Amino acid sequence: MAATGALLFSACNTPGGGQAEPTETSGSGTVEPTDGCKADLGDVETAEGEIKYSIGEDEWHAYNNDTGATNSTYNTVVNTQLFSGFYYFGSDGTICHDENFGSYEAVSEDPLVVEYTINEDAVWSDGEPIAYEDYLLDWATQYFQADGKPTVDGTEEPLFDFAGGMTLGTYVTTFPEGEVGGKTVTYNYDRVYADWEAAVSDTMPAHIVAEKAGTDVAGLVDAIKTGNVDILTKAAEFWNTGWAYEPGDMPPAEDVPSSGPYILDPEGWTAGQAISVIPNEAYWGPAPATSKLTFRFAAPETHVQALSNGDLNAIEPQATVDTVTQLEALGDSVTVSTGQEFTWEHVDFNFASGRPFAEDQGGLALREAFALCFPRQKIVDDLIKPINPDAVVMNAREVFPFQDAYADVIEASYGGEYDEVDIEASKAKIAESGLTTPIDVEISYNAPNERRSQEVALIKSSCDEAGFNIVDGGSEAFFDSELSAGDWDIALFAWAGSGLVASGQSIYSNGGGQNYGKYESDAVTEAWTALADSADPEVHLEQQKILETELWKDLHGMPIFAHPGVAAYSSELQNVRQTVAQNGLPWNAEQWSMAS
Amino acid sequence: MLKFILRRVGASVLVLLGASVLMYILVINSGDPLADFRESNDPRAAAQMRSRIAAMGLENPWYERYWDWLKGVGGCFTGQCDLGNSVNGTSVLALTEQAAGSTLRLVTLATLLAIVLGVGLGILTAIRQYSAFDYTVTFGAFLFFALPVFWAAVLLKEFGAIRYNNWIAEGQYAPGTILVIAAVLALALAGLLGGSRRRRLLTGAATFVFVAAVMFVFNMIDWYRNPSFGLVMVVLTSAGAAVLVTALVSGLKNRKALYASLTTVAVGAVIYLVLAIAGVLAEPTWLLLAGLFVLALAISVGIGYFMGGYAKKQVMMITGITGTITSLMVVVDQLIAHWASFLGLKSRPISTIGAETPQFGGGFWESALDKGAQLLLPTLLLALISVATHSRYTRASMLEVMGQDYVRTARSKGLSEREVIVKHAFRNALIPITTIVAFDFAALIGGAVITERVFGWKGMGQLFQQGLNATDPNPVMAFFLVTGVAAVTMNLLADIAYASLDPRIRR
Repeated sequence: MAATGALLFSACNTPGGGQAEPTETSGSGTVEPTDGCKADLGDVETAEGEIKYSIGEDEWHAYNNDTGATNSTYNTVVNTQLFSGFYYFGSDGTICHDENFGSYEAVSEDPLVVEYTINEDAVWSDGEPIAYEDYLLDWATQYFQADGKPTVDGTEEPLFDFAGGMTLGTYVTTFPEGEVGGKTVTYNYDRVYADWEAAVSDTMPAHIVAEKAGTDVAGLVDAIKTGNVDILTKAAEFWNTGWAYEPGDMPPAEDVPSSGPYILDPEGWTAGQAISVIPNEAYWGPAPATSKLTFRFAAPETHVQALSNGDLNAIEPQATVDTVTQLEALGDSVTVSTGQEFTWEHVDFNFASGRPFAEDQGGLALREAFALCFPRQKIVDDLIKPINPDAVVMNAREVFPFQDAYADVIEASYGGEYDEVDIEASKAKIAESGLTTPIDVEISYNAPNERRSQEVALIKSSCDEAGFNIVDGGSEAFFDSELSAGDWDIALFAWAGSGLVASGQSIYSNGGGQNYGKYESDAVTEAWTALADSADPEVHLEQQKILETELWKDLHGMPIFAHPGVAAYSSELQNVRQTVAQNGLPWNAEQWSMAS
Repeated sequence: MLKFILRRVGASVLVLLGASVLMYILVINSGDPLADFRESNDPRAAAQMRSRIAAMGLENPWYERYWDWLKGVGGCFTGQCDLGNSVNGTSVLALTEQAAGSTLRLVTLATLLAIVLGVGLGILTAIRQYSAFDYTVTFGAFLFFALPVFWAAVLLKEFGAIRYNNWIAEGQYAPGTILVIAAVLALALAGLLGGSRRRRLLTGAATFVFVAAVMFVFNMIDWYRNPSFGLVMVVLTSAGAAVLVTALVSGLKNRKALYASLTTVAVGAVIYLVLAIAGVLAEPTWLLLAGLFVLALAISVGIGYFMGGYAKKQVMMITGITGTITSLMVVVDQLIAHWASFLGLKSRPISTIGAETPQFGGGFWESALDKGAQLLLPTLLLALISVATHSRYTRASMLEVMGQDYVRTARSKGLSEREVIVKHAFRNALIPITTIVAFDFAALIGGAVITERVFGWKGMGQLFQQGLNATDPNPVMAFFLVTGVAAVTMNLLADIAYASLDPRIRR
C-alpha cells in the first residue's frame, strides 16, 4: 500500500492554470491576444474534428453546477461550454465582458443600481429566448429560506442549495425589475456591493424549472413574486437535484438546453470514459472552431503519456519539475507552456498573546528579524524557477505579479527592505526584541507536502544562523484543527484567489472569520471597510495600496510566490491559452482548432 | 457439508460486520472532508462548507453515520439497496455497479490467464527441474514478483502503447530485430523441449529458421497492418491443439480419443465455413456468439459421447476442450481479419487510458478489437504478477508430490510418465493451489487499485481511492462491501473445491 500512498498524494491535482505566456505557435489560425480576454477570431467556420482534454478522473455528472453538491471543476469545465453570460474571467483573472451575450452598466453608484441588457438574439438551444425570468429565478435561488421567507443575513437554511449562499439576496432585497420575456433586468442594491460585477453572469433556464415544477414561466415568476411556497419548493427540488445524472445516463436534450457555443452530444457520454459537446446550432455568437470537444475522465498522472500517445490533445498536469522535464522530452510535437496560478503561498505570524511574534513577546522587532533572514528569493530560485523560469518573489497580497496593478501597488506599499537576506541585521533585530536566543519557532503547514517541507528546510538553514531555532511543524491536522485554533507560531499555506475584490476582508480585518493569527489593525480594517463599501475600481486600488502598506509595516506575514502552473498541448492545436482562472485551459475551448 | 458451509457463512458475516465498523471509523477519521474549502478565501466558501456538512451529516457522531449506512445496506436484502450518495451527490449504488462491472472485466481475464499460464509453467518447470528453462522461468518469476506495479505500468504504456503505435504506423520489423526475436524463441523452445544436446541444437536451429523466415515474409506482405489467418490456419492450430490435448489427457495410444478430437476440429471447420458463407459472423452480437459457443460445446461433447468407446467420459472431456479451442480460433480468425479495418478507424490502436474509445464508430468486431486492445496492457500487467506467484507455488507443490511414495509406486507399476504426472501427481498438487488461486482472485479485485488508476479504468480501485481522497465514507464502504464479500465468497469456494479435490476434508 505504500506505493498507493505515493500515487494518492500525487493525485491531489489543483485544477487551474497559469498566466498566459506569449505562445510560440505560429500557425496561421492562431490569433495573438491583446489582453487577458478572449482574442477576436473574426468569422469562424466550424472545422470537422475532435479535441480531447481531461481535467481529472472525476465524471461530469450535473448540468446545474451551482448547487453545493455539484459545484466542482469536473462539472464546470464542461458546463462552461454550455453556458454564456455577461462576463467571464480572463486569462489574468480580470473580469471580461461578453459582448455577444449582452451588456451591463452601473447606472448609479450610490445607491447602486445595475442595468443588464441581454442580446436580442440570445436564445436557449431549444429556441426559448434568454430573458428576464431566467435572471429572476437566478436571484430567487439566492434569496429564499427553506420556509419561503426572504433571507435576512444569508446564514439561514436556504430553499435552493445555491453553492455561493444567499449573499446576493442580502444585498438585493427587492425583485429585480423587468418584464417576463423582456431583455432588460435592473438590480437595485440596498447597500453598495464591491463585487457586484461578479454577482450576475449566466443562469439556469427558468422555463425548464417552471415545467418541472408543474407550471409555466408566468406561473413561476408569479410564485417568486408572491412567495408561493408550494411551487417554489417544487422548483427548488428540481433545481437542487433534478439536473444531476448517473454515469452515462445522458439526459434528454430538451432538459439541458445550452446558452453557449456548444450543446451536450446526445450520443456523447460513455460512462467512466468521456463526455462530448457538439456545436449549438442556435448559438447567435461566433461559431465554435471545432466540431467536437471531448472531456475524458482520466487521472492526472496518466496525462503526460496520454498526450504523447494522442489520447489527449491538451493537458494541465501537476506543476512539478518532473512533469516539466517529462513534457520537454516529448519534443516538438508538444508545446509546453508554464506560468503562474491564482494561488499564492505565504507565511503568517501568530499575534496571539504568548506566541514569540506577538506584541507581548518579540513583537515587531522579532517579526522584522525573521523577515530579514527569510530566504524568499532562494525559495523561488530553487523550488519554483525549475518549473516556471519567469517566477518572481511575490510582494503583495491582493494583487498578483501577472496583474496590471501589481507594479503600482508594490511601488506604493513595499520598499524592498526584505528582498535580500541580511543575517547581521536580523541578529541586531533579535537583540532589539530582547528575547534570548535560540528562539524556538514552529512553522506549521499541512503535511505531507514536499514543497513546503523544502521551504521550511531552506528557512531553517538561513534563520538558524540569525538565532532562531526553526522547527518543522508539518501536520496532517493543520487545516482540520490547528490553523483555526491558532496552534502555531508561523503558518505556511496558500490562499486561492477568487477573482473578487473584497474577499480578503475576513482575513485581515479585526476579528475577521479567517483572521486566524488574531492580527489587529484599525487602519487595515478601515481600509477594508472603505473598499467593500465602494463599487468604484479606483477606490478599490487606492484602498489596496493603503492596506498593503499597513500590512508590510506591521509585518502581518509575508507573501512568497504565486503557485506555478503548467499546460501542454499538441503543437498542431491553435489558440490554446493558459489561464489563472479556476476552470483551467478550456476557458476559451470554443476557439481551439487543429492546424490543417 | 451443509452445516460446514452454514457455519462458515455465519462466521464470515460477523467478520464482515466487525470489519465494516472498523473501516468506517478509519475512513471518517482519515482526513478532512472540507479540505478543499480551507484554503479558499472565496466568501462563498463558508456557505459551501455548511452545505457539505449538512449533506454528509458531519455533525452526527460516527455511530449514527454508520447506522445510517448500515440501514441502507440492510435494504439490499429487501431489494431496496441504498449505499448512500457520494460527496458530490451521485448515487453510490450506480457508481458501484459501473465500477464493479469494469473491474470484473479487467480481473476475470487476468485471473484466467494467470491460472492457465502459471499452473502450466509451474508443472513444466517442476518436470524440467534445474534445467536452463527452469532457471529462466524462476528468474522471470522473481523479477515480475518484485516489480512495482505503477512503474511497470508506466513502462508498459511507453513500450506497449506509445512505441507500438509509432511502430504500427509502418508495421515493419528491422532485420536485426527479426534475428534477435528468432534467436530468443529458438533458445526458449530448445530449453523447453529439452532432450539430448543434439536434439536441442536441432530444435533451436529449426525454430530459428522458421521464425526468421515467417517474420521476413510477414514484412514483405505487410502482415502486421493487413493480417490474415484464414480457415486453413484455424484448422491447423485447432488440430494441433486437439493432438496436444489428447496426448495430455488420454495419451495418443487411445486412437478413439484422437479420432474423436480430430473429428471435432473437422466438424468445427465445416460449421465455420457454413456460418461464414451465410454471413452470420459479419455483424454478430455477444448473445449470438455465446449461443453459438454453447452449441459448439454440445456438438463437441456429443461427438465424444458417440465416438468415445470404452472411455466415454474422458473422450467427452477431450472433445469438449478441443471444441472450445476451435471456437476460440474462429473468433481469433475473425478478429485478425478485421484488424486492418480497425486500424483504418483508429490509427493509434492502443490508447494509454480508458476501457474503450468513447463513441467508437466501427462494427462489432472493430469495437471488440478496440475493447480488447484497451484490455490488453492492464490484463498483461495483472497476469504477469499473478503468473509469477502461481508458477512458484505450483512448482513447489508439484515437486513435493513427485517425491511421494505413491508416485514412485505408480512409476514402478509401469505407468507412462504422462499418466504418472497428469493422473497421480498433478491432481494432488492442485490442492494447495486452489486456495491460493481463490485468494488471488479476491485480492485482484481490490489490488487492481493502482493498475486501474494508471490505465484510466473506472473500477473499484478508483472508487475506493477517490472516496478516501475526499474522506467520503460511502464509496469506500461500497468498495469494502464488494471486495469483502468477494474475499469471503472466494474463501468459501476454495474450501468447497478443497473438499471435492481431497476426500479427507469432507468429514
